[in-house]
Amino acid sequence: MNQKQTKLMSLILGLLLLPFFSMAQVGRYSGRVVSTVDQSTVPGASVTVKGTKRGTLTNADGGFEITANKGDVLVVSGVGITTIEATLGEEKNITIQVAANNRLLNEVVVTALGVRKEVKRIGYSIQEVKGSDLLKAREPNPLNALAGKVSGLNVGVTQELLGQPSVILRGDAVTLYVVDGIPINSDTYNISPDDIETYTVLKGPAASALYGSAGLNGAIMITTKHGKKGTKPFTVELNSSFQVDKGFIAIAKVQNEYGGGDNDAYAFGDGNGGGVNDADYDVWGPRLDGRLLPQYDGAVSATGQTYTTTFKDGNGNIYGGASSPVTFVGNIAPTPWVARGVNNLNGFIQAGLLSTNNINISTGNDNSNLRISVSNQFQQGIVPNTTINTLNFNVNGGINIGKKLKVEGAINYNRQFTPNIPDVQYGPNSIIYDVDIWTGADWNIDQVRNYWQPGKIGTQSLFVEYKRYQNPWFMSYEWLRGHYKNDLQAHASAQYQISNVFDAEIRSSISTYNLLRTEKEPWSAHPYGDEHNHGNYREDHRDLFDNYTDALLKFHGDILHSGFNISGLVGGTLRTFHYTSTFESTNQLIVPSVYNFQNSLLPVRAFNYLANMLVLSGYYSVDLSYKKFFNIQTTGRIEKSSALQNQTYFYPSVSATTVLSDYLDFGNAISYLKLRGSFADVRSSGTIATIGAAPAGNFGSVVGYGQDYQSNYGGPNFAASNPAPTQPVYNTFNTYSNAQGAQIPTTAIDPALKPADRKNTEFGLDARFLKNRLGISLTYFNNNDGPKINGNQISEASGLTAIVSNALITKTNGGEISLTGTPVSSKKGLNWDVLVNVGTYKTIYKSIPPSANGTYNTYYHQGDRVDGAYASKEFHSPTGQQVYDASGFPIFYAKSQYLGNTDPDFSWGINNKFTYKGFLLSFQFDGQVGGKIRDYVAQKLYQGGRGAGTASGIIGQARRYESDNFANPSYKGAYNSDGTPTLQAGGVQITNGVKPTFDPSTGLITNLSALQFGPAKTATPFIQDFVESLYADPEHTIVSRTYAKLREVVIGYNIPKENLKGLPFGSVNISLVGRNLLYFFNKNFKDLDIDQYPGRTLPSASTGTGITTTSGLQTPTIRSYGINLNITF
Amino acid sequence: MFLLMTILVVFTGCKKEFSSFVNNPNGDTQVPPSLILRSILTDMYSASNDRSYAPFSQAERECQFTCSNYTYYDNNLFWTGSATWDYSTLYNVVAMESQAARVAGTTQTPYHALGKFFRAWFYVDMTMKVGDIPVSQALKGTGNITPKYDAQKQVFLTSLNLLDSANTQLAGFIANGFNEFSGDIYHTEGMGNLSPRQALIQWQKIVNTFRLRVLMDLSVKSGDADLNVPAQFANIYNNPAKYPLMTGLSDNLQYVYNNTTNYYPNSPSNFGNDALRYNMGATYLNTLSSLNDIRAEIVAEPARGLGLADTAYGSFKGAPSGEDLGTMSSQIQTGVISLIGRHRYWETYTGEPCMIVSYPEMCFNIAEAMNRGWVSGSAEQWYINGIKASQSFYGVVDGANTVTFQAPGGSLGTDISYTKHFNFANYYAQPAVKYSSTAATALTQIQTQKYLAFFRNSGLQAYFEWRRTGVPTMSTGVGISVSTNIPLRFQYPLAEKSDNTANYTASVTSQFGSAGDDIFQTLWLLKP
Repeated sequence: MNQKQTKLMSLILGLLLLPFFSMAQVGRYSGRVVSTVDQSTVPGASVTVKGTKRGTLTNADGGFEITANKGDVLVVSGVGITTIEATLGEEKNITIQVAANNRLLNEVVVTALGVRKEVKRIGYSIQEVKGSDLLKAREPNPLNALAGKVSGLNVGVTQELLGQPSVILRGDAVTLYVVDGIPINSDTYNISPDDIETYTVLKGPAASALYGSAGLNGAIMITTKHGKKGTKPFTVELNSSFQVDKGFIAIAKVQNEYGGGDNDAYAFGDGNGGGVNDADYDVWGPRLDGRLLPQYDGAVSATGQTYTTTFKDGNGNIYGGASSPVTFVGNIAPTPWVARGVNNLNGFIQAGLLSTNNINISTGNDNSNLRISVSNQFQQGIVPNTTINTLNFNVNGGINIGKKLKVEGAINYNRQFTPNIPDVQYGPNSIIYDVDIWTGADWNIDQVRNYWQPGKIGTQSLFVEYKRYQNPWFMSYEWLRGHYKNDLQAHASAQYQISNVFDAEIRSSISTYNLLRTEKEPWSAHPYGDEHNHGNYREDHRDLFDNYTDALLKFHGDILHSGFNISGLVGGTLRTFHYTSTFESTNQLIVPSVYNFQNSLLPVRAFNYLANMLVLSGYYSVDLSYKKFFNIQTTGRIEKSSALQNQTYFYPSVSATTVLSDYLDFGNAISYLKLRGSFADVRSSGTIATIGAAPAGNFGSVVGYGQDYQSNYGGPNFAASNPAPTQPVYNTFNTYSNAQGAQIPTTAIDPALKPADRKNTEFGLDARFLKNRLGISLTYFNNNDGPKINGNQISEASGLTAIVSNALITKTNGGEISLTGTPVSSKKGLNWDVLVNVGTYKTIYKSIPPSANGTYNTYYHQGDRVDGAYASKEFHSPTGQQVYDASGFPIFYAKSQYLGNTDPDFSWGINNKFTYKGFLLSFQFDGQVGGKIRDYVAQKLYQGGRGAGTASGIIGQARRYESDNFANPSYKGAYNSDGTPTLQAGGVQITNGVKPTFDPSTGLITNLSALQFGPAKTATPFIQDFVESLYADPEHTIVSRTYAKLREVVIGYNIPKENLKGLPFGSVNISLVGRNLLYFFNKNFKDLDIDQYPGRTLPSASTGTGITTTSGLQTPTIRSYGINLNITF
Repeated sequence: MFLLMTILVVFTGCKKEFSSFVNNPNGDTQVPPSLILRSILTDMYSASNDRSYAPFSQAERECQFTCSNYTYYDNNLFWTGSATWDYSTLYNVVAMESQAARVAGTTQTPYHALGKFFRAWFYVDMTMKVGDIPVSQALKGTGNITPKYDAQKQVFLTSLNLLDSANTQLAGFIANGFNEFSGDIYHTEGMGNLSPRQALIQWQKIVNTFRLRVLMDLSVKSGDADLNVPAQFANIYNNPAKYPLMTGLSDNLQYVYNNTTNYYPNSPSNFGNDALRYNMGATYLNTLSSLNDIRAEIVAEPARGLGLADTAYGSFKGAPSGEDLGTMSSQIQTGVISLIGRHRYWETYTGEPCMIVSYPEMCFNIAEAMNRGWVSGSAEQWYINGIKASQSFYGVVDGANTVTFQAPGGSLGTDISYTKHFNFANYYAQPAVKYSSTAATALTQIQTQKYLAFFRNSGLQAYFEWRRTGVPTMSTGVGISVSTNIPLRFQYPLAEKSDNTANYTASVTSQFGSAGDDIFQTLWLLKP
């Protein structure tokens, strides 16, 4: 910031503070309004001097100040409050107790910077979830439990161990997690659910604009539990859950009729290409009909005897004719080829466990509070020998030093540790890949339990194949991926009450983690890109340190008895960020099972990465309200970041709200009606939310398979901050014989680059009817995103492929509806509460970069949806039949075609909660409607021949025909008895010999009118070729995302207090819980749990788009059942 | 006021630290030119595109040397879309030149001489694929993001001049001993271990040998007065002192594989995946076996399903590339198609070197120039030189040769060897081989032998030669294209259409009129 700007800022701050210096008054009373029920503070209550027009509203802490005389009567009233009068005496500092309805009282929420605020004063959309609602039916990841509970929030629940859910708000990934007002670096596992009072979801940038660019996509604010003054000196609470995972709701359905191999032939030689289709085969092998074939576990003749297996060709001949039969000769005795592995996956997978225990003790009095909490979570995966342990220590407390100074602090330590977690990424490193997709039922899981070959322990595993696929036991017990992460978050703050008007606060927080991930790849493992069978050892170290230091001045007060009340804050933050990482890998192990770097055959490959960032910001927030008529909040933040070439930007927001029902009479029907609107202009720049092991693509180039774990980062990506093109940073990499080579980056950066911009406009309405029995909250929002920081593709003939500059605007419109209702509330104690959440959004290109001349990313034009999916598409005749070429294969258009949109039309959740005396029943359904996804699991199941669909229906019919008739002289492919080709039936071929020509631009057929079509007559010789080709085309595995889940069920019972008499318990609650109990989805695609894919792959906040149409592999999703016990002492 | 002061101090006092945080600390803004040279030389062999010079690439199947028979992995279809361009590599050439100038303090360095060669090399590579390309306005970075296209003729003129200039400059360095030069993976390190001066001597030969290829690429335009192709060719051939050429296989620009870091694309590592899924192509193997050429038995496995002796030439039969994959895969199952040679290509990690600019090709180019009357001399002698050079690449000797196949029913490494006698004189005496007295027939013979010498090397050059001369007869059918025709060019990169619209449109219209950016259009250099 230059001097001029500094002066300007001082002036602005000075002006903002000016009104308050005249406000100190004599004869003023101050006080607090608290609830008689639990001594909690009551904000937003109206406090008036009876018989006058003087009045004020209590602030977020329930405090108020008012000018009055001794003997005056104060009237305290408000929504949900029983109006009460209090007569003023000598005491100038008073506490007024009111009886208040709990639900409405709780409508104080935490807003940005931890400021507690009354809901009715909030002009933007937020939604709160009680931490206690998520404690019983547990998810290993606390964020998973938010699925369906907040409108507009889509949580992509993942069942994988340490799998991070995609947390998506209004279509964008949430990257800001704030605990007690302090931003933390969160992988979402380093939050202990037992310590959480509430989750508050700030849905739009107006809510989170005070956090600057980090709050662009909204935020999840977490308020932790604190010690409170209570009736007892201290409270001890014990919460314990035990859940068992059993029963699949989404699992690949496989066929067990045909075994491994290709084109109906298989013979094991050495499992590495030495037999007939015995390596890297598909499951298109011979029918498992008991025929004798050499197999992996057949006896090898000691006397050197050989065995001859003969195969017949399609003409019924022995290969090569009788004179010179081509046969397979091996030394393995043929054994019956039968389905001995029908339950291989089930036989391998075990019941998963989730056990959580928390004990906490808390205490509080007028001057101090303390809470100490210890949690442990142990999760055992359904894949054997996989676990994850999480330990969490949380301590927080506060001390009042005198009446004016309050000191608070908290520390949260979290450790995740496991010697082994599975990798599910598609490839030989994935158990699903090896067991369910690419190998058949011809081998048995129990027979390969002893996974080393005899005499080759430590060097060579035993399996049905040795080129591509891996023994799952070997993977679980030898190929180990460790994960050890320490997360530490701490903050300390001091608040000083300067006067009745001003409070000052200084606080500092750190959020830091260190991470070690190890991989022991044993000898004889051979994943993609690492196929030497000599193993490797890898270490991935990451260290992050992120510090925020804030100074704040808060103020609140009336303005000269005008009816206006003003409150707010000004502050400044210095953020210091450091990140380092190293990633090392051996390059093949010399000695097996010795996992250290000295044991590397070729030079060790090592990478290091360093990033620093400094962000300075100043901010203010001012709330102005006039009596009970309206509240206007305006916030502003000025931010200077080293991640964006030190540029300085201003982030304003304004929101307004009015509670019509406070001053208009709607009768009994409408008990509450609030209108709100907000606008924010937030920028983002130069940072990325997560980071992998070795930036610059080195992880992929070294490892070549598996998942590059993304840890939370939030630091600079240097894509927009380098002073390129004058000083490009060269990329270096290995060329011939490991010699270093260098390449100049081909992306330039516009020197005038500015942060990306989002303008958010939001309107909403909150209403309650029928004495609050029915409530509705409606929000409409519009995000105008851009100009973004966009890598604008340019003519590569310039030497550059892209210039990073400000271009590309997208527009997202959407809305959310939340309905709350109490259909039943009987005097006998039966209560039924319902919460319905619906959220929707749609994003289009509002303007595309001018350099793109009207077509962006090949397919998109102005006004198009950004989530349009394009992929290859089959040619259909004008009458709609599929067109096959002369050999029976489908013909495709020459270019990709539109296949649908990937974003869901809307997502929804319904919660029901029944209570009757001590009993509770709650359950939740949620899901999505619309949007397309390509089911990669289904695609591979078909292509590989293992899917149940390849042995049933028309494909099964053709397959059986091929199997039965392959050796017949007349066999030419799979035909029906009437001579039509089985699989091509219903399709057409071109009959007049004219070849289709394709438009060079669109890829569509240009000579359609010249083509004549007749029924398809030709079958491919092998159906394997046909099915592989057909299912390579996404058209056959693209499916609507519409699904519903019975997400959770809780049946709870509070043991009545009278039964606890004489026992040391304050309360005892026992609950039976279930999660993931029912899954409703297109029945042909129930190999895919759609949960993990809540929307398109997200465009990053500041750059362009990237849409993925395809799912990945998953561990099958299981149901989980358990019990929860909660006891307080 | 405390607050204001904090803000003030913080905002002004950190200026220095701020600046240091802006730059990416994870890389260098200056590198020795040798590092960039290594990456350019690697790109030359195997840029990250689908038609690299590396064996077992798509180019090999498009030249119909080999075929895929396994739909899941691959097919033999020709492209329907765009070429990949090499401007990013050329941008590195620009960077290498500027880094060399920074270090040397002059633009007269071997890096600059090689820079001229690389420009010519990649310009020719791109124009051969698509037609007109930006040259004169290209590579200006942000200075010109919509460069105009140069007509193909101009691209060739520019490239040929660059090659001439590279030759002159290299000659100067070789003569005056200035050769501060490293990073040459082909010569000074890794594969060659030559001294920098020896490396430059090799590069000079490569530059001139490549120039003969470019001139021959232009044979259809031999009448063009500006290009003056025959005279240029003759000038080089007749002035060996000024334009030294390759004199043997040891002069080849070729990529040599090793056991540790640079494996041949076929090796024991991927034998199980690929060995059955890829087979020999008929266009190549059937020609070899019809000529009783022992190279057939060195590069391929006998198709034992045919029931002939392992060493019978009849056992060496490729699949027609145009055949549909269903039929081809069923033929693989029945063993009636030859697979890629186990012994030569799969049993080791080193395979054979991949030639990029080769001596055999040069011999055939000279033979063709003589056949066409551009240069005087014995076309037949150069034709024979070419055949012998290629056969010697495969280790063929007169007399007893050992040919090795995988034993029937054996696994990788279980081999069976035969002694096979080969006599060049007898081979050459065959009418199909013996240089014909009819010029047109002889030309076809030269082209045929050149095609055979291109097996698994030189990228798409065999396809370009087919496009120019029609030799060999390529296999067509549903297996190579829905339209069953072989495309004659690539479309321009898709991005050009949107990002360089005006220049792209103007160039496409001037070249192909209303047909547009179509893969079946004929390029300027092939229009008589």
